[in-house]
Amino acid sequence: MILRAAGIRKRFDERSILAGASLSLEPGEIVLLGGPNGSGKTTFARILATLTAPDEGEVTLDDVPVQERRELSRRAIGFASHAPLLYPALTPLENLEFFASLTGISAARRRAGELLDRFGLTPFAHTPMTHFSRGMLQRVVLSRALLHDPAILILDEPYAGLDDEGVLAINGMLADAKARGKAALLIAHDRERAGHVQTKTLRLSGGRIEGS
Amino acid sequence: MTAITVARKDLRLFVRDARFLATLGLFSAALVLILSVAFGPIFSDPAREAAASLWAALFFAGVLGLTRSLELEGESGAGDALRLTGADPYGIYLGKTLANVLLLGAVFLLLLPLTAIFFDVGTLPVVPGLLGVAALALVGYSAWGTMFAALARGLAARELLLSVLLFPSLVPLWIGAVKLTHALWNDGTIEPVRDWVKVMAVMDVLGLALSAWLYEAVQEAGE
Repeated sequence: MILRAAGIRKRFDERSILAGASLSLEPGEIVLLGGPNGSGKTTFARILATLTAPDEGEVTLDDVPVQERRELSRRAIGFASHAPLLYPALTPLENLEFFASLTGISAARRRAGELLDRFGLTPFAHTPMTHFSRGMLQRVVLSRALLHDPAILILDEPYAGLDDEGVLAINGMLADAKARGKAALLIAHDRERAGHVQTKTLRLSGGRIEGS
Repeated sequence: MTAITVARKDLRLFVRDARFLATLGLFSAALVLILSVAFGPIFSDPAREAAASLWAALFFAGVLGLTRSLELEGESGAGDALRLTGADPYGIYLGKTLANVLLLGAVFLLLLPLTAIFFDVGTLPVVPGLLGVAALALVGYSAWGTMFAALARGLAARELLLSVLLFPSLVPLWIGAVKLTHALWNDGTIEPVRDWVKVMAVMDVLGLALSAWLYEAVQEAGE
């Protein structure tokens, strides 16, 4: 699947955040997107993930605008951001099982268990997340994004709060995704933590993507 | 299936929030008690005063419940994750509505005996009728309230907007609930005011139908 964003513009109040940002994400590509704070990376990621509508421009999945088949598009994309997008009062297992059920995964509990195991969270599967550290929470966040084995991953600051083991787990997962022909957009300040997993490095500045 | 999954999740979150449940229970019970003291000790029309007090307490308890239901999706951005699942928006809406109906149903079951005791109105023979009135009122209230709560999501003044939308829209539903409850406690039958059942049923169907049409647009709006 190919995810394309063309000429994305977005304003909040009178401030222009994105001024014609364009990007193409093809199978097997891992794109690392950098840029200064406030440059609109998170807004751009949310637009790609279909959560925020652009003022102008278009996001397409295999040349079909995402809003024309929103359900299919959302099930093709896995999105993780620095907001957890989880219910803190539920346990990791309950959260993942809930979202897996809604995504239409038949063996929801088993899939949730697999991901918790992958990110070393099995001992905490039944612990409410209210007192989780940032790193532990981030592992659940990433597990949720991977639940439906999406063709395209959009990860906004995935390394935030993670220890070396967590970073290795993400990079391993990304290398595996790349090998299986999946695509990923990584938004990260800390390029060193991404290692050499990326196939392309871009920068968002002045509302546009440079280097594409 | 989506509706059941969402309702189960919301109920689980309500049950785990002891502070919320205590506030909801104590607030609504205290309201009935205060009104019974204000109207008593010698009631001029106990059935009418009891009906008014019961539904006033439920109305305000409902605002608390809807506000909490709204917060559940706002906290940590879980509402966005709900959208990202690609699940049927109307299924999500029905699930949240069902959870709100069950929450308010529990408050109703708490308040009913308290109201009967504080206002000294006989309840047992008319319990089935009262449960029917509660079902009509709470389904309509939750159907409209869940829709309005979604509409207010993401706004700074969401609680205010929720109240502003909810109060005038649900006047017919609440008048119907008071009239029917009064009739049951006073005469043991709803015959004199039977037409209010139709009004309430229309409000219920209208709330559910309007949401089937609008909920997806409302869920996606505001970004």
